[in-house]
Parts: sequence; structure tokens; C-alpha cells
Amino acid sequence: MTSTKTTPTTPTTAPPASSSLPRRTVLATGAAGAAAVGVLGTGVRAADAEESGQTGAADRGKAGHEVFQHGVASGDPLPRRVVIWTRVTPTPSATPGSGKGKPVTVTWQVAKDARFNKIVRKGRFRTSAGRDHTVKLDAKGLKPGKEYHYRFIALGQKSPVGRLRTAPRKRAALDNLRFGVVSCSNLEAGFFTPYRALAARQDLHAILHLGDYLYEYPTSGYGMGQDNVVVRPHDPPHEMVSLEDYRRRHASYKLDPDLQALHARYSWILTWDDHEVTNDQWKAGAENHDESEGDYKKRRARAHRAYDEWMPVRMDGTAALGDGTRFYRRMRFGQLAEVSMLDLRTYRDEQAALPGVDATVSDPSRSITGKKQMAWLKESLTRGDHAPQWKVIGNPVMIAPVTFGDLPNDLIDPINDVTGILPADGAPYNVDQWDGYTADRREVLGHIRDHQVKDVLFVTGDIHSGWACELPMDTSTQPLYGDSYGVEFVCSSVTSNNLKDITGAPQLTPLVETAILANNRHIKYLDFDNHGYSVLDITPERAQMDWYVIGARDDANTSIEWSTSYETIAGTGRVTAVDAPLEA
Amino acid sequence: MCQDAPLTGSPERAARRLEEIRASRRTVLTAAASGLAFSSALGAAAPADAASPRTKKRCYVLVTDGCRPDEIEPTLTPNLHALREGGMWWPRATSMPVMETIPNHVMMMTGVRPDRSGVPANSFYDRELGEIRDMDQPSDIRVKTIIERLNRRGFTTGTVLSKEYLVGVFGERATHRWEPELYIPVSGHAPDLLTYNALTSMVEELDPHLVFVNLGDIDRVGHTDFTGTNLRLLRQAALLDTDLLVGQFIDGLKSSGAWEHSMVIVLADHSMDWSIPTNVITLQGAMDEDPLLAGNVVIADNGGADLVYWTGPKGKLDKAVKRIQQIAEATSGVLKAWDRRTPWLRLGPESGDVVVFCQAGWRFSDPNPVTNNPIPGNHGHPATRSIPFFIGGGHPAVKAGKVSSAHARTVDVAPTVAKFFGMRTPKKRYDGKPRI
Repeated sequence: MTSTKTTPTTPTTAPPASSSLPRRTVLATGAAGAAAVGVLGTGVRAADAEESGQTGAADRGKAGHEVFQHGVASGDPLPRRVVIWTRVTPTPSATPGSGKGKPVTVTWQVAKDARFNKIVRKGRFRTSAGRDHTVKLDAKGLKPGKEYHYRFIALGQKSPVGRLRTAPRKRAALDNLRFGVVSCSNLEAGFFTPYRALAARQDLHAILHLGDYLYEYPTSGYGMGQDNVVVRPHDPPHEMVSLEDYRRRHASYKLDPDLQALHARYSWILTWDDHEVTNDQWKAGAENHDESEGDYKKRRARAHRAYDEWMPVRMDGTAALGDGTRFYRRMRFGQLAEVSMLDLRTYRDEQAALPGVDATVSDPSRSITGKKQMAWLKESLTRGDHAPQWKVIGNPVMIAPVTFGDLPNDLIDPINDVTGILPADGAPYNVDQWDGYTADRREVLGHIRDHQVKDVLFVTGDIHSGWACELPMDTSTQPLYGDSYGVEFVCSSVTSNNLKDITGAPQLTPLVETAILANNRHIKYLDFDNHGYSVLDITPERAQMDWYVIGARDDANTSIEWSTSYETIAGTGRVTAVDAPLEA
Repeated sequence: MCQDAPLTGSPERAARRLEEIRASRRTVLTAAASGLAFSSALGAAAPADAASPRTKKRCYVLVTDGCRPDEIEPTLTPNLHALREGGMWWPRATSMPVMETIPNHVMMMTGVRPDRSGVPANSFYDRELGEIRDMDQPSDIRVKTIIERLNRRGFTTGTVLSKEYLVGVFGERATHRWEPELYIPVSGHAPDLLTYNALTSMVEELDPHLVFVNLGDIDRVGHTDFTGTNLRLLRQAALLDTDLLVGQFIDGLKSSGAWEHSMVIVLADHSMDWSIPTNVITLQGAMDEDPLLAGNVVIADNGGADLVYWTGPKGKLDKAVKRIQQIAEATSGVLKAWDRRTPWLRLGPESGDVVVFCQAGWRFSDPNPVTNNPIPGNHGHPATRSIPFFIGGGHPAVKAGKVSSAHARTVDVAPTVAKFFGMRTPKKRYDGKPRI
């Protein structure tokens, strides 16, 4: 999404992530509802660590330093395989992005139990500086719908123990499927409290991250609030441009204990938005890229390579590096649901620019998906009788139409900072979202209508605010006729700035929310001012999203509260409020 | 044109067919106490208990013709909604191609797809007769129905069908049959109030083990509701009325004690879409202008689907199919033109050589763009595939509150009924699956 670089202010004295021992102590003992999470800087549950004989930092083995500093992760669950990931630091000088350090052979194990008495799969993986000493592989031959423990062993040390869960078999009848949902996690803007809260839950099947997992800006380029406060500084301190930059930035995020905890606890299903490369990127450029930073496509290739190295995902269907960067992909969960993750940055045409924005956004020759991905998306929605009930679309930017035409002028600029709309120039919509590519949206919704596809659920991030929307073809007639071809639930940001952070005037937010809800009757819920996470629960009968909000972002021990819940009943395409959250 | 549209079927033809049925040597007329007359198989006019298996099980299949799944909700259809909430529900359920009334009713009762049943659409080109006709002859169904299978095992069955072509195609199969004396002239169906009266009379006086019911008002009013594209005012009134009748029927089962032994399957045969006057597709003219196709193509209009038949030399079939597909898919409003032999369609040769579906909001009118299909309500195309499908009842086979992601289909009804009555389901006998 659009985020505006502002004049930096003096960084705070908050400790950098690499010196976070006191914070770990707080997390392990003080945070409400999270006492079982976050020991040893790895996110491994205390009980599991004890059971498996893990000693964390104290276990320095023959390397003499901590080999598995960046934790473990798993992702992209399929019925019989899941991607597992870690990074080894063979010598203290073999820091991420350094290109230093000898090749290392790492042993990996997947077991039924936390003590690894019942190992079901194991193997060896050779890594080197050429891949920044990351380890990523498909753990295959697993059983569908089962939870496993996994770990890595190298240089006399054992990694933290992670847990993964395979997807159920294709025809399985599921009672429910439950995801943690997050997006927009800016390290400099605050602590990852939402990750801590989700790691403490025991009721999830996986985590959906909808993009902006990390940010490219230099330290203090995009911090917390109006004054751009740096809660925790980025590494490297400059904007990430080179391959070394991207690797170091990924590594700095992977040192965060809350992030480590959530990666270790659950398998993640991710997509990227723009900041994994740079702000407002499109297929041949970006808002935050200029000639001084070199060729854009080479920069993007470096960003994608680092992402592939450091994230537990498959690209082009494999865990191997360098064999392609196609990132849109599907994961099926029995007959209940299929998650289709979109890549809305790599193939999109440039965002509309003034003048002439109105004509441009509806130009059918422009695309946000690209032709191949559009065909793939339509196939996800209608695959004969074979598509499961809920078609969940992991959607980096909002698809629900949003008009901002009647907003007070004084609020236009702050909203623009958050949402990327261009109302000051008379374009009452966000040209970085599907609103800027209306022909593609018509094609998707038209396809849904032509095939009477039911239970299409877009789950979205990007916009640093919580939304629950119906999806009409025509917003002007929808209040009267009630047509809706799906539902969109949008989670808020983990830490990235929202409206009140930019205006510094939370009392104005209700005016904005009221105006937007009044102008967009298909939007049933909007919260412009809170950070947090969501929990999405899907059953054959309905899909419900809970929104949880956190207190102060710069307080590592801040509060976590349920905010609201909305559901859509199967077959309706409608959104209604629910008066209680899901039972954890 | 689409024979599911309400302007078809002359009263003379209907009357003639009913006369033929009633004149059958195997049929007697039963005068019920309600004043209604039922046609019954010879020897079965008495209440069922004498010759039937000793079971209290009863199954009622209620087809809310043309009902959309999103129309089942607490305000508009409170009784149907309550039945759904208290029983078993399949939100992913669909009709099967072609999404028309006759083929899907036949799929319900046969449990097999049209390539086996022989009934792929409402309207088709009968190559032997050389004319387009409805699939309304009993002989059009090539396989045994669950009705006949139950009869053979001593159960009794009933059909209460509001549409004349359904009465026609199911013919004398059921033990007891209600054959409306009159149909509404324009809509060509018996109103739900009459159908309801026939249903309750049949249940009270003849008490068949299985009753197969078509409630036609929702569909018929939907077809002719010119406010249908958006407001659907008449449609909503029909939904309210039909829902009330279903509620009364359920109440009757409960008050009589029959509920505890009953399974009530509620589903639609297809959904409903509405077109605007400018969104009309006529393919015949374009076909006639093509040198290869001119004079060698016949189109059976099924509202949301055109069945295109190649009548030229067999040796040119493949070439003709491609040409038909090209012309059709170049026409505004066409969603897709399928080679009928595409395996997943499973429509059989009766459905012609190319099956053309329209987009949502459109309709076919072939061969005449004005006269063949002037009504806005429409189905037959993929935009009308989703249906309500739920099972209520007090019998233990009905698991209260169960909601399933499984893909239930119209073709599942027969195997479900068979399982309910404890009948063996031979391997590969059905294309559908039992849902209890």
C-alpha cells in the first residue's frame, strides 16, 4: 500500500531487537494469556522445549555461538508435505547478507512427538553462503491433517522445535478451519504484539499473512505515528536495495521473539504486497524507486530471491531456490475450503495517475492480476464440481469498491496517507487497490455471477484498518437490490500506521468512518484506528472473522482486546455482526 | 423455445395426454374425501398398509421449483428456513446441466445423469420425428426410477406434480398420482394452493411411503415477473405463499405424529436468473448465414441454454461443431459453447452437438428473437446452478443441525431415498450419492 516517507525524528532509546533478552523475559512471564510462549528467543513453548531437551542460547555446542538465531518456520501446508525453514549461522562472522561462512550440512527431523522419540521423516540439507545459509525444504511423506514437530541439527546444536500441521486430504469433511490473519508488520513502528497473541492460541490451523511482512524504508523513514518515532531500528539502517540489504532486513525481522514464536507455533501461508520489494510497486517500477537505485527489475529480482531464501513458501510450486518466482498458488483444506493466494504486484500495470484517472482505472487493457493469474483465479472459483465450498482468496489489496467522495476536505490528506486514495484531485478511490483496476474487478465478479459461485471470501490486508464488506457489481443499486457476489474481510495492521496515527486526532476518525459507511452501504464495518490481528473461522455453515486490537504499539506488554466480529452465512454473500468472538 | 417457459403446452395436448393416462388399463380413478381425484395403479387404490412393507417410514420430496438458495432466509421464508436449520443442510448444492425442470426432476428420481436417463433438457430436437418437442413422454426416461424400485418392493408411491410436462414424463409410474384437471393458461402450471391440497389429501387418505411433489409457483411467477431483474416483487410474494404452505404441511406431519417417522427432502431443480429486454441472444440467424451451417442446424431453445443440432452429413460433424462454437462464442451474451461430447457434461446425444450457455442476465430466444422467449425469468445456464438442498424430519436418519460442505446435487435424491427405505444400492447403480 501507499505509505508516505516523512521527515525522520530522533530514534527512541528502545533496544534493538538483537538485544532483546529483557523483552523475552517479559513475554514469557508477564503478558496476559501468553505465558506459555516465547522463551529462549525462539517462540517454542516452554513445555515443548523442556520435553525436547532444548536449551536454546545455552546450547552453544561446538560452534561456540548460537547457530539457530533466526528461529524456525513452516508454511504452505499440503496434505502430505509442508515447507520447513531455518537459517544457520556457522560462524559469528557469517552474518546474514555477508556472504561469509563455509557450507554446512544440516540434519532435519520431523516427529510425531516433541521429544522426537517418534521421528517419521528426516534428512540432510546442504546450505552455504550462496543462499545466505538458509535451509528450506519440503518435508514430504507426511500424513494428512496431522500435527508434527520439526527441528534442525547442525554444528552440535539443535534448533528450537517448531510445530506444523498438514492439510487434510482432499475429500475430508471438516467441521471447521481456523486461521490467524495478519498483515502490515512494520518493525520500526512497534512490537509485534499480535504475533504474540496468536502464538498463545492453541486453536488455529495456520496463519495467513496478507503482505507487507517487512518494510524497505531506512531507519526512521517510516516509524510510529505522526512523529515517525522509531520503536526499534531497522537493519540495515538504509533503505533495502541490494541483495545484502534484503537479506539483512529479513534477518532482522526474524530475530523478533514474537515473530519467531508465531512462526514456530504454526505453519504460515503468505503472500507479498509492495513493501517486500518497495512501496507501490508495479510490474516495471514503483513509487519508491528511482534511477539512482538502479534497474527496477533487477532490484525486484533481488528482493524476490531474498524472500525465497528467508520465507517458508513455495515459488513455482517448489521449495527450491532459483526455479521461478510464480507466487500465486492454491492450498486446499478438504471439502471445506481452498485458499488461493494472489500476487497483485508482479504483473500489474502502473497505477493510474492524474490527470485522466477516471478513464484509466476502467481501461480494460490494464490489469492488476495479469492475464495468466486472472485465468488462474477464475479457475480457482469454478473448477467444475471440484472446487470446495469456501473459496478463500488471499488478497493483498482491497477488492470492495470504496468511494470517498463526500469526505471533509481537512481529512483528505491524512486518509490519503493511510489508504493511498487521491481525493484531493477529485479521484474518490484508491488507485492502488482493485478500485484502480475496475475492469479486472468486473471480470472477477462477473465470473462469479455467471457461474453462480457461492461462498467466495476475500481476506485482505494492506490498508491498516479493519473492514467487513459485501461485494456488489453496482454500488449505486446495491442498497436497494442487495446483490452481492462475495464477502471481503480486511484485517488491520500489526503495527503500521493507521488514520489516528497520522492525524494525531483520533476524535476525527468517527467522522471519517461515518462518512465512508454512509457513502458505501455495502461496507458493514470499518475501524480506521486500531492495530491488531484477526481470527477467521470457517465452517460449512458460515465464516466468521474476529478482530482483536492492541494497546500502545511501543509497549511490549500492551493489552490485547476483542473488538468485534462479523460473519457471512453460507450461500448469502451477506455480512452480519456477531455479538461474541469465537471460543479459543 | 424453452419449454420451461410458461407459454408452452396447449390445453388440448395436456388434456389428451391425461386422457391417455387415465384410459390406461392399469389406472383407476380414486375419489378422495377431499373431492380431489387421484389416478392410482390398479389394485392400489386402497390405503397403502395392506400390501406394503410394515414400516412407518415416510419420505416427502418437496421441490420448490426455481428457488434460489439465498431466498431461504428467516424473513422471506421462515418455515423453510426453520426446516433447514433444524435438519441437514448442504450449502454447496447444485442443479446439474442442463439446469432445467424436467432433466433435474428426472435426475432426482433416477439418480443418474442424462447420458444414462436420456433426459438432458426440457426442449430437444427429436431426430426421429424431425421436430422440437418437450421431453414429456414417459418413454423419454430410459431407466428405472426410485418410484418404480419402491413399488416393486411393495412400497407405495405418489406424485403430486404441478406442471403438465412433469405429469407427462413420470406418467403412470407412481402408485397414486395427482393429475391437475386444469392448468393456469399462461403459466401452464397448477397453483401451489391446489398442489398443497392434493398433497395433504393424498397423504391423509392414501398415505404413500414416498411422495414426490413439485411446487411450481416460485418458478412460474419468477419467469413472468417483469420486476424480476432487481425488485422481484411478485417472486417474493410467491415465496411467502409457498413457504406458508410448506409450513402447514410440516405442522400437519407433526400434529399427526407422522413427523417422527418422516424424512422431508427440500430442494430446487434449478435456480433463477433475470434478463433485461435488450439482453436476448438469437443464434439461428448467424448459423443460417454460414455457408457450412445454413439449412443444417436446428436449435432447441432452453432459455439459458441453446441445444444446437447438426443435421448435415455425418462426415462434416466435427467441422460443423467447431464452426457452431466459433459463431456462438462470438455472440454477445454467450458464456460458452461446449462440444456436447465434453465428458463432464454427460448429456447424451439427445442434447444435440453443441450446448451453448448464456451469461447471467441474458436469455436465448431461438429461432425468433421476439416471439420464442419473451419472458425475463430464466434458467438453464450456469448462473442458475445453485439450489437449496436440505433434509428435515423427525426420523433418526435425519441428523439435526448437520451442515455439510459436500457437493450435494439433484441426482442424489434417489440414492438418499433408497437408503432411507433400506434398499440396496448396487455398485455404480447411481451417479448420485446418498446424503443420509
